[in-house]
Amino acid sequence: MDRKLSIPGGLTGALLGLAAELALEEITGMEIVNGLLAVIGAGFGLIRIDRRIYEATVNLLKRVPVEPNSDYRDVLEQIDEMSLELPELRESFVKLVQAGIEAQKA
Amino acid sequence: MLGLNSLSKFFRKTIGPRIEALGLLPHRYYLHRALDALEEDDIDEAVRMVTLAGNDKKDARWRLVCQQVIFRCRILVSQHEKQLLRFETEMEIFGKPSELTDTYLRLQKAEEQARDILRNYELSLFNQLNGFKSDSVTAE
Repeated sequence: MDRKLSIPGGLTGALLGLAAELALEEITGMEIVNGLLAVIGAGFGLIRIDRRIYEATVNLLKRVPVEPNSDYRDVLEQIDEMSLELPELRESFVKLVQAGIEAQKA
Repeated sequence: MLGLNSLSKFFRKTIGPRIEALGLLPHRYYLHRALDALEEDDIDEAVRMVTLAGNDKKDARWRLVCQQVIFRCRILVSQHEKQLLRFETEMEIFGKPSELTDTYLRLQKAEEQARDILRNYELSLFNQLNGFKSDSVTAE
């Protein structure tokens, strides 16, 4: 089947799409493209929840406050104290530390 | 594409929060939202989302997210306690009848309130984690 592409037609379509998006944004106050990206992001987030939980665990450790005079033992002690009776989280922390040690060795 | 996006936006701004509060959305959705809130230190929202996601207390993902929020609560409580200790020390240095005493007392009260709210959240999640009923925080 012979198909003919029309450049003016394509440009008109794009222009109409852009005008529709801008008009909708003006009338409703909704940011169409950002909204779409947010929905796609949330979709990926739902699929990749395990990755997200892992990142949150790393982030949690990074946000443990460190006093200027304290050394790594104080920080470890603090983490140990704060994760009392939280077995799964402790296990995750231990795995992260082990992975860090192994990465340093390698 | 345009229609779908507008529809989802409309959903999120109108009936979305109501449906969300019913706990009918996928389990992972609430965990995702709890992690977002935790990242922003919005503990109130994180606790609400963990509570909504907590139909299955044995679910490994739920348990881990719940423990993450408890851990963050504990860290924040310790920071408030350190701040309280600092106020007490400074009040001792300046002496009791001081112009700053009122300010210190107000700050101290605010710190104590923040600490107590966080402890309440921690206790609520801890009870959920261990299968006890908790009335201190309810999912609205």
